[in-house]
Amino acid sequence: MSEVENTMSNRTRKSHTISRRGFLAAAGVAAGFPAIIPSRVFAAEGNPGANERITVAFIGVGGMGNYHLKDMKRFVDSGEVNIAAVCDADENRLRDALQKAGPGVTPYRDYRYILERNDIDAVVISTPDHWHAAQTVHACQTGKHVYVEKPACCTIEEGTAMVAAARDNKRAVQVGSQGRSEHEAYLAHRYLENGVIGRVHTVNCFHYPSPIDENPVPDCEPPQELDWDLWLGPMRWRPYNPRYCHGTFRWIMESGGGQIRDRGAHVMSCAMYWMNADGTAPVSIEATGTPPTRGLWDSCVNIDVTYTFKNPDWTLTWNQPGQPVPKEERTPDEPEITRPGYGAVYHGDNGTFVHWGGDGGTWAERKCREWTPPAGAKEVFKSPGHKEDWFNGIRTGAKTIMNIEAAVGVADLCNLGNLSYLLGRKLEWDGAKRQVIGDEAANRMLGRPQRHPYHL
Amino acid sequence: MTVSRLAGIALATAGTESSTETSPEVDKLIAALRDEDEIVRTNAWVAAGEVGAPAVGPLADLMLDAQPEVARAAKRALWQVARHSGRPGAESDKAAVVAALLTVLAGERPDAVRREVMWMLSEIGGDESVAPLASLLSTAELREDARMCVERIPGTASLDALKSALDSVPQDFKANIAESLRKRGVEVPEFPSVKLAPSRATSVQAM
Repeated sequence: MSEVENTMSNRTRKSHTISRRGFLAAAGVAAGFPAIIPSRVFAAEGNPGANERITVAFIGVGGMGNYHLKDMKRFVDSGEVNIAAVCDADENRLRDALQKAGPGVTPYRDYRYILERNDIDAVVISTPDHWHAAQTVHACQTGKHVYVEKPACCTIEEGTAMVAAARDNKRAVQVGSQGRSEHEAYLAHRYLENGVIGRVHTVNCFHYPSPIDENPVPDCEPPQELDWDLWLGPMRWRPYNPRYCHGTFRWIMESGGGQIRDRGAHVMSCAMYWMNADGTAPVSIEATGTPPTRGLWDSCVNIDVTYTFKNPDWTLTWNQPGQPVPKEERTPDEPEITRPGYGAVYHGDNGTFVHWGGDGGTWAERKCREWTPPAGAKEVFKSPGHKEDWFNGIRTGAKTIMNIEAAVGVADLCNLGNLSYLLGRKLEWDGAKRQVIGDEAANRMLGRPQRHPYHL
Repeated sequence: MTVSRLAGIALATAGTESSTETSPEVDKLIAALRDEDEIVRTNAWVAAGEVGAPAVGPLADLMLDAQPEVARAAKRALWQVARHSGRPGAESDKAAVVAALLTVLAGERPDAVRREVMWMLSEIGGDESVAPLASLLSTAELREDARMCVERIPGTASLDALKSALDSVPQDFKANIAESLRKRGVEVPEFPSVKLAPSRATSVQAM
């Protein structure tokens, strides 16, 4: 047995046999970890109690990870959360995060050190998209609750594994399509649910194009602070390129998938939620697109995708750029629409409804915001906040507003849209079997093998 | 158009190797991919799928062009050829493209080209592709890509190849093969998974 395997074996045995007293000795004192008492030591069935802090670690601390770390401080201040660890494959980002997180927080390059720690209840995953599935699956398998950035996954196979891991291990997973938790999203949901514009038969999303790489550069050695192999993780190996790393991974089809997988995971998340379509899937997906004319990035600049749903029948389209709707004028005391370049138009039998944004900024058309529910109107769930809803899921086992099943359903739309574009053909989809009907090559592309040792 | 010495040699070789495969359509495609206008190049690679198997060898060679954007357009054109051939009801087209890809794989092209070809075969290849891919499991630079590509091809031939490889590959690669076998539903008691074992320590110190 190799040294690594031997260490793994010892760790596994330890985690299976550890007692509360043993944990406090081993994790809190002997191993030199921060003296945080894990909430689940005192809680039933592995969940923190209502009045106990949830101990959280951050995997990926640049970009949205940096935002989440700063945002989580308010829950530290309110006594709901402890921050135990931060992790990144980029040591510069890790150093910065450690400064923000403060004393008593442990830095890691490799997220698997976090998964070994029994004092950590939950992880916030904000790594590039190609890491979301493996890290979520691994976190669930080691007993951690998960907040993972959107999109949930890059392939159909990854989504299937994520759902199974969360279910099998009874972990609360919240995916970062936080638009569902926005106040004006609640108003929009209630407005549509009450049929104010009649039965909605078509939803047309619009979004500005994905960028073209204006500054392509050759492959080169990675910067010293970056563990390129770990950054790539499950992806097949390739040389480092500065145009393919932090942030810019978004424009590579294999890892980021372009605007449709980035903002599509927000705007189409709203559509699926408000249409009560979580748990359903389209029966066909047809895409056409325009690729970039130069550079490393290969996500299509423009793309039009039509998703056809049956029983009930409705059509969802992703149109990039589509027909953007100019933002409505708002008074100074109304929330400003700061990202009007994307959103959706809902077409009902009795009218239309527009929203802009769909993520942390979700803005509903005035007529919706001013609509007063009559007596007997249907009420819809009002999220207490995206993180608060996750904490509730952790403590009570309640389904989160953007639970993993719903999030995978939305990611499927993004991924199948890109797949149809890549193959240049319409896909007939069996949502129950999660298979393309009659297209063996397309089915093979529903998953991709992971590079060792970063297996699902 | 500047062509590197390496690319020039490769193209000369390709001319010999595939002289019987050249066609006006292929020549037109290659010329368009070499065009200085990026719109012309892009339109060319987008439409390359229809050209099919005769384009495979010339495109593999053009991937070595000294102009990065030409090389990139050639790679994207080759992917179009592979994916277009995998469409339902095009078995003969696919068989011809797979055969052409296997010829490239067996040749002397650089690993970067062969690696792309391997992944194309992982999408459209069948039993005929398994042995050529599995033979690369003993090639240090290509073996991990080969493992993933063999794993991806359905059927008993690929499964048997992985089982056989578990015995034949070097010790330091057996755990990789074991994971592929598990993925394919085979119980492998040896070489336990190390996917959860941390291995990368940071130099950043806690405050």
